[in-house]
Amino acid sequence: MQIEYRYTFSAPREAVWDALQSQEVLRRRLPGCRRLEKVGEGKYAADLGLQVGPINGLFTGEVELADAHAPEDYRLLLQGQGKPGTLAADALIRLEEEDGKTLLTCSAQAQVTGVMASVGQRVMGGIAQLLLGQFFKGVEEDLQSGESSSSG
Amino acid sequence: MAKVFGAAVKRREDPRLIRGKGRYTDDIRLPGMLYAAILRSPYAHARIRKIDAEQAKKLPGVVAVFTGADLEGKVGPIPTAWLPPDSDMKTPAHPALAKEKVRYVGDGVALVVAEDRYIARDALDLIQVDYEVLPTVVDAEKAMEEGAPLLHDDVPKNVAFHWQAGNDPAPAFHEAEVVIRQSFRQQRLIPNAMEPRAAVAQYNSGSGEMTLYITSQNPHIHRVLLSNILGIPEHKLRIVAVDVGGGFGSKIACYPDEALVAFAARELGRPVKWSEGRSENFQATTHGRDGIIHAELAAKKDGTILGLRLRMVANMGAYLSTAGPGVPTILFGLITPGPYTIPQVHVETYGVLTNTTPIDAYRGAGRPEATYVIERLVDLLAMELGMDPVEVRKKNFIPADAFPYHTATGLEYDSGNYQGALEKALKMLDYEGWRKKQEEARKEGRYIGIGWSTYVEICGLGPSQVAGAVGFQGGLYESATVRFHPTGKVTVFTGTSPHGQGEETTFAQVVADRFGIPVEDVEVVHGDTDRIAMGWGTYGSRTTPVGGSAIAVAAERVLEKATKIAAHMLEVAEEDVEFEGGVFHVKGMPDKQAKIQDVVLQAYLAWNLPQGLEPGLEAQSFYDPVNFTYPFGAHACVTEVDGETGEIKILKYVAVDDCGPIINPMIVEGQVHGGVVQGIGQALYEEAVYDENGQLLTGTFQDYAMPKARFFPMFDTDHTVTPAPHNPLGVKGVGETGTIASTPAVVNSVVDALRPFGVKDLEMPLKPEKIWRILSGGKKS
Repeated sequence: MQIEYRYTFSAPREAVWDALQSQEVLRRRLPGCRRLEKVGEGKYAADLGLQVGPINGLFTGEVELADAHAPEDYRLLLQGQGKPGTLAADALIRLEEEDGKTLLTCSAQAQVTGVMASVGQRVMGGIAQLLLGQFFKGVEEDLQSGESSSSG
Repeated sequence: MAKVFGAAVKRREDPRLIRGKGRYTDDIRLPGMLYAAILRSPYAHARIRKIDAEQAKKLPGVVAVFTGADLEGKVGPIPTAWLPPDSDMKTPAHPALAKEKVRYVGDGVALVVAEDRYIARDALDLIQVDYEVLPTVVDAEKAMEEGAPLLHDDVPKNVAFHWQAGNDPAPAFHEAEVVIRQSFRQQRLIPNAMEPRAAVAQYNSGSGEMTLYITSQNPHIHRVLLSNILGIPEHKLRIVAVDVGGGFGSKIACYPDEALVAFAARELGRPVKWSEGRSENFQATTHGRDGIIHAELAAKKDGTILGLRLRMVANMGAYLSTAGPGVPTILFGLITPGPYTIPQVHVETYGVLTNTTPIDAYRGAGRPEATYVIERLVDLLAMELGMDPVEVRKKNFIPADAFPYHTATGLEYDSGNYQGALEKALKMLDYEGWRKKQEEARKEGRYIGIGWSTYVEICGLGPSQVAGAVGFQGGLYESATVRFHPTGKVTVFTGTSPHGQGEETTFAQVVADRFGIPVEDVEVVHGDTDRIAMGWGTYGSRTTPVGGSAIAVAAERVLEKATKIAAHMLEVAEEDVEFEGGVFHVKGMPDKQAKIQDVVLQAYLAWNLPQGLEPGLEAQSFYDPVNFTYPFGAHACVTEVDGETGEIKILKYVAVDDCGPIINPMIVEGQVHGGVVQGIGQALYEEAVYDENGQLLTGTFQDYAMPKARFFPMFDTDHTVTPAPHNPLGVKGVGETGTIASTPAVVNSVVDALRPFGVKDLEMPLKPEKIWRILSGGKKS
């Protein structure tokens, strides 16, 4: 399943980059994040409690930030397993500066199994959009309130 | 008394079923019963590294968790029971629970047994399985390619069999003036019986007897297979399947799940129930169709068909299901010439394993695929030659005086009058009238199409000798016992296993008609291996031609003995006794008579029987048909395609079917209606879709489009009557004809409607989006 998402931050590119790479921001803003522990360079063990349609329950897995070309692009790799099945996503995230704002484009390949595949496939694209929206909006809030810089 | 054979008697089973008084497997509750749930693989192809069930076992209420290792020596592999000969057949092992590898989404991995079904279900989530995900292949043609992921180590290139039939068609193609080449995809369908599968097992450790209630189309086949799988002697294993809510082929197969339930009941010493959920049914109950057929048709310019060459690549799923291999070979290949005189035909089929749910019979099973191919090819030939598709059909029909007719594929069509059925349908449709309307509509920018399907099918499976020759691991005769009780009531025991087709009514009609007694006085018993001597079940439209014939033969035997007793009572010779309308009377002396009920009573009192005659009045028959039966007919469909949206509306549907003499016209019409709807479901709506990772994307009724009543006009149905010459009732089957006939009629109709767009073929299902793309600028879908 291919997912495309765009978001515009009203903050400069470097600040957005730093926020997105920050463990503290990720812990606070990844939807449903209950635990995010560093297990290696750019690698975190995570527990996400999600409740959106068929994606319902606790997902245990790994979040990895890879192939970073600061402040332009990086890959966000997600792997999780929960009651409704397993989820794996490989997202390329690119940041472009436009008039002091930052345009983020996310291009992801996601694979799901279990109930998420058999029952949820039709709505999965919409759910991914919703979750990505929550995440980036959360990051934006942190940027506005200055929280992101204090914990970087 | 009015004749009962041929009367529209209301289905006697309905008052019970529609008031919730049926006895389905899931209705059974036994004291101390436990509930089972099955953990199924979320991956289409993966190695199992480790299964950790400790957490699940600790959940309060969980009684046991079993994995593949626990079945060692207790539950054998699930067998394949149709092995077409000379096909280099490989039957890879199908363990009841996957041990090393899972091969499709839905493959069973562990069995949980708990005090209630909710705990059992919750416990599934606590089982940790460590999978190593492997590359997946879901498309049959890709699975045959070099380097494709291999499902089973002992099946090279995933090809389980390669089967061929017919003769050498090269001369036909050499002589041909026209050759039509086209590939046809038969999409995968999900049978979707109203009742999902279920099982209840009860084991008596004292006697060693196991009773297994299951949703089965063929309890005796399940008894012998499960006896082997479980190591329970056949006489200690009782299979019961009384009320079964539809099957359409999906309840023929022997699945791992029912065996697991029996195993658990034996291990735990308590009854165990398992009920399949609807989502589970989508994944774990066999699917149907799924294949691509590469076809070539050789013909002369006058429309005469000379030869046919077909290569089918059939997707069999991850394991070879019980009857699976027989479907795209015997049931498909042999009937490919259809109702036409095609002297040279060659068919070959590759059966290929993929990471998908196993494939088995689905209503029509092989014959819809064959009929679709030949009926589309005939239309393509007509289009190529600028002929009317009706004319091409008439030109190539086997003439009515040519029966019995031997096909190039080795069948002997028993009887037929294809022209007669077509003529009737032409009249009912007002073909010429619709052609005019079509022309006028085109001038207004409306797209109306008329499609035909003239079919013949193999049913009434079948002569046991032929069953053996085509690799069916069983006989195909049928048993019946007809038993009079002292008060003149009758119980009929049939080895067939109706599950919605209405034989509790039609079989009672056959017997009531023969004995001249009220239908209410006849009870039909089926679906219990302890009550019924033997049986091969209900599928392949065999129940009435084979099971009904067995009953007719047994009834005749009963009557022979009753006649002896009646003659004795009337004090005349047997030859002087006539029987009619339930009364024996002396020839030429209509007043000297004895009612059958009085004769029956004497048979049981035995106060005054003829010398040497035993008391009692019942008879058994093991009726083995000498041939299959070949129902046929002509269906026509008129559709209109919405030029704006691509939606297809069925304006008129005409079905003329010939199933021989009709026992109950109301039930026959019901079968035709249901069959036609199911066939149109394939043409227009239904499609099981897997993604490239083997995830089933159409796992709910929101994603898998079932036909709804409001999609259809009233159907115009009628019949011609050409009896089967070789069975005592002359009957042919009618359970599958609608499904076999309707799919190509609809597609031919839509292709005809879209002729102004240069459309020659469309891949099923004909979703509005696909049609809309063609209408809006010829973009290929």
